[in-house]
Amino acid sequence: MAKKRNEEYDSGDEYQEEPNFDDPEGFVDDINDEDLLGDLLKQKPCETDGVECVVVVDNIPKVGPTRQEKLKTVIFKLFSTFGDIVSSFYPLDEEQNTKGYAFLEYKSPEKAEEAVKALNNHRLDKNHTFAVNLFIDFQKYENIPEKWEPPTPQPYKVQNDLYNFLIEPDAYDQYCIAAETSPNSVQVQFWQNSLPEPTELETRKSFTDTFVKWSPLGTYIVTFHKQGVVIWGGSNYQKINKFPHPGTQFVDFSPCENYVVTYAPTPAGQKIIIWDIRTGQEKRSFVSDGQTSMSMFRWSHDDKYVARMGENAIFVYETPKFFLHELKSISIPGIRSFSWSPTDNVIAYWVGGQTEVPARVTIMDIPKKKDIRNKNLFNVADCKIHWQKSGDYLCVKVDRFSKSKKDKKDADVKFLGTFYNFEIFHMREKDIPVDSVEIKELILAFSWEPVNNKFAIVHGEPNNANVSFYEVKKGQKPALVKKLEKKACTHLFWSPRGQFIVLGNLTMGTFEFIDTNNDFIVMSSADHFRASDVEWDPTGRYVVTCVSSWKIKEDTGYNLYTFQGRILKRNLLKNFVQYLWRPRPASLLNDAQQKDIKKNLKKYYAQFENKDRMRLTRASKELLEKRSQLREQFMEYRNKRIAEWQDQKSRRLQLRNHVDTDSLETDDVEEEIVEFLIKEEITVLE
Amino acid sequence: MKPLMLQGHERSITQIKYNREGDLLFSCSKDLKPNVWWSLNGERLGTYNGHQGAVWSLDVDWSTSKMITGSGDMTTKIWDVEFGKVLASIPAQSSVRTTNFSYSGNQAAYTTDKAMGQNCELFIIDVRTADSSLSHQDPVLRVPILQSKVTSMLWGALDETIITGHENGHISLYDVRNGKQINSVNDHTNSINDMQLNKDGTMFVTASKDTSAKLFDSESLLCLKTYKTERPVNSAAISPILDHIVVGGGQDAMEVTTTSSRAGKFDSRFFHLIYEEEFARLKGHFGPINSLAFHPDGKSYASGGEDGFVRVQVFDNSYFEYMFE
Repeated sequence: MAKKRNEEYDSGDEYQEEPNFDDPEGFVDDINDEDLLGDLLKQKPCETDGVECVVVVDNIPKVGPTRQEKLKTVIFKLFSTFGDIVSSFYPLDEEQNTKGYAFLEYKSPEKAEEAVKALNNHRLDKNHTFAVNLFIDFQKYENIPEKWEPPTPQPYKVQNDLYNFLIEPDAYDQYCIAAETSPNSVQVQFWQNSLPEPTELETRKSFTDTFVKWSPLGTYIVTFHKQGVVIWGGSNYQKINKFPHPGTQFVDFSPCENYVVTYAPTPAGQKIIIWDIRTGQEKRSFVSDGQTSMSMFRWSHDDKYVARMGENAIFVYETPKFFLHELKSISIPGIRSFSWSPTDNVIAYWVGGQTEVPARVTIMDIPKKKDIRNKNLFNVADCKIHWQKSGDYLCVKVDRFSKSKKDKKDADVKFLGTFYNFEIFHMREKDIPVDSVEIKELILAFSWEPVNNKFAIVHGEPNNANVSFYEVKKGQKPALVKKLEKKACTHLFWSPRGQFIVLGNLTMGTFEFIDTNNDFIVMSSADHFRASDVEWDPTGRYVVTCVSSWKIKEDTGYNLYTFQGRILKRNLLKNFVQYLWRPRPASLLNDAQQKDIKKNLKKYYAQFENKDRMRLTRASKELLEKRSQLREQFMEYRNKRIAEWQDQKSRRLQLRNHVDTDSLETDDVEEEIVEFLIKEEITVLE
Repeated sequence: MKPLMLQGHERSITQIKYNREGDLLFSCSKDLKPNVWWSLNGERLGTYNGHQGAVWSLDVDWSTSKMITGSGDMTTKIWDVEFGKVLASIPAQSSVRTTNFSYSGNQAAYTTDKAMGQNCELFIIDVRTADSSLSHQDPVLRVPILQSKVTSMLWGALDETIITGHENGHISLYDVRNGKQINSVNDHTNSINDMQLNKDGTMFVTASKDTSAKLFDSESLLCLKTYKTERPVNSAAISPILDHIVVGGGQDAMEVTTTSSRAGKFDSRFFHLIYEEEFARLKGHFGPINSLAFHPDGKSYASGGEDGFVRVQVFDNSYFEYMFE
């Protein structure tokens, strides 16, 4: 066919004329290149191309030619983490020394911006802190117009009220319940502990991959994801900020909620990043190869400092710059552990003893770095530092021994004849006097009363332990106020408001509620088989015991009790993992105002009592209404069915030989006397 | 009052039943011998010897003259209650799971397991003349059940229907005249372990492995109420005099040894029939409860457990005085 057409074409006698491409005469070309091939022109290279990819690094070390190579590799290594560096330029002075700044060009402007964001204010060493800027910024600041224009007002955006949860009129507390609905997908429910029944506020499916955690004042809740962590808050638990740190397993908030620390294990060691919560900026990052307890950052109570323990030293960093305090660590040879006071900028630490040197507990003032108190201790195996919450007292639990033996094989030291001392430091008194309490038995638990000045110790065998309560007073030795004997108790849980304590046995799941201001009376005991956690609500009104599916696969759920141990609710929940009360910030009322309220408690008592009664009657009325409705519905059905049943009576009689078996009573009862031969005895009569 | 402990079985109880008047209590277990007891004092009256396998179910007719049992030895036996003699032994192709007399006592039904290449089947036999000839007579009706196997069965009122509960949680209603399935519902999600009629036969309560008991209308199979627990329910019974039901069960017998009895939840639990609210619990068994029965006068109830004991509990006065508002 094609051939044929060709033939036709060839054989065509008239030639087709070629069209004329010339412009007609008098044509004016009014289309410019921009319109015609604007898209192509955009790609045309020009001199200033790539300017936006250039960053200027200031404050780099000024070095001679010999060390330039090293400097370049260091800087290259640091900056190439954000993208490939296309070219770099280090200006040199007459003596061939670097001038203290350099130009680096990235492949794309985004990479350059990233580098500026991350490495500006980066500390290379003690004397060199980078100032990294985009090259085009210079242009920008050059071209600042002479005349100032007032900024145009932005439309008002309603901010999410983060403290919304505190304005609940009845001061009901919130709690969240987490359940692992499928692997790595945890559903979280938010509830309000209202009376008489809690109300559900919100349910979030797949809210977090592993678990959730409240910030210490309850403002935020943090969730964990593959890419990092997210914090949520406000009335509907909106997303507030996110912190991209892949593989984060644990977070720690600073006490005033200004910073958050994320911990993620990497092959090189634990990577730790400190973030600013409000801006979401990374403040400082560390990689530690030590144990987790060593690398834990500990915050001072006012967020001013954060400290970390290293080999023979404490590193104290100052916020908000996160530089080492006075640019150097505090050298403490042999430091074993340290802890901040919960109310003052004071650190307590202890140093292990050597053969000749005794162990030592020291209290140090920060930022003065001055030791306020030293206490030498002999024959020390281990120490635990417990601060009282109000910072008035410090208790150091000292494990001591009468003899020590070094194992030949390994370097482990064996301790024989251990006994325990509690060293109580009176922080508020002059020169900080120290008292000690000695206990011969094994210590299972120790706990300070969160307010007031009692502490409780569990000592003895786990199934047959003694619980001793001591009271500390100004200028006096701690006095034993009560010893409860033969308690199956392993853990202590004080009410956050003091006075009440729950003695828990977490292996058996038994609990005892004790009022310590009332002759240590056992108010009640409770039983929650295999319960693993005890959570007091922040106001000390309720206690929750939980069985989490992290530990036990069956019968997971939680029980809710009043502070007196009266059970309010048992709730079995499949795959339940966590129950967390939302913390509250400290009261805004001062001591005098609080005292005033306590004094006039009778007045308020009547009000609350009234309110409670109203609520209860309303609730029971609702229940009764519901029941009577159910009863009516059911009786309607039943009466219909009974009528049908009665209609069938004749057929029933027919089936059972006309014997009426509808009721148990029958008219024709025949009494039958049955005689049994019980025993046969033969007595021979003489 | 202290419960009566009926100790006579060597293995776990599978079913217990009162006779119509309630003076006798019948029990069968995984050992070979069904027992009969005086319900008043818990004294054993006698045993029924003859089975070669575990006895899965029993029923007594309304006149307490005949008893029917189904066993793992692949027979259904009809007994003379008074003399303990086997009147008839009917062979089956697999073990007999459920047996029941009809309202009139003229007919009986039994179902066999789906096992050894055999389908699950429902048989209806005429037992008016119960003698050895029954063993080779053809059944009145034979219905192969191709869906999930039957785990519990009941006669509807007036000998017209049969209600079957299945391993997959379905409940079906069959017409006795032609063996056709009239209705089927699937409110339960797991095996129906037990079904018991109320006094007049218009409702029945189911006990299911899906950890709930439910109340159904016995004609429409409409689910009326649900009673939730957190363990598999093995048995449930309706009080003949009050709006109460009792449910019993507990952890699967397989898992019992791995946990303490406290975690097993082997309590009898009392629910209000209408409000679905639990109001009482009775401890006692140290294994799951397999079967429950109310005394026909409603003043006591009995429970048979995996532990091999039957417990008869007479209610205290406070039980009758307790009123729901």
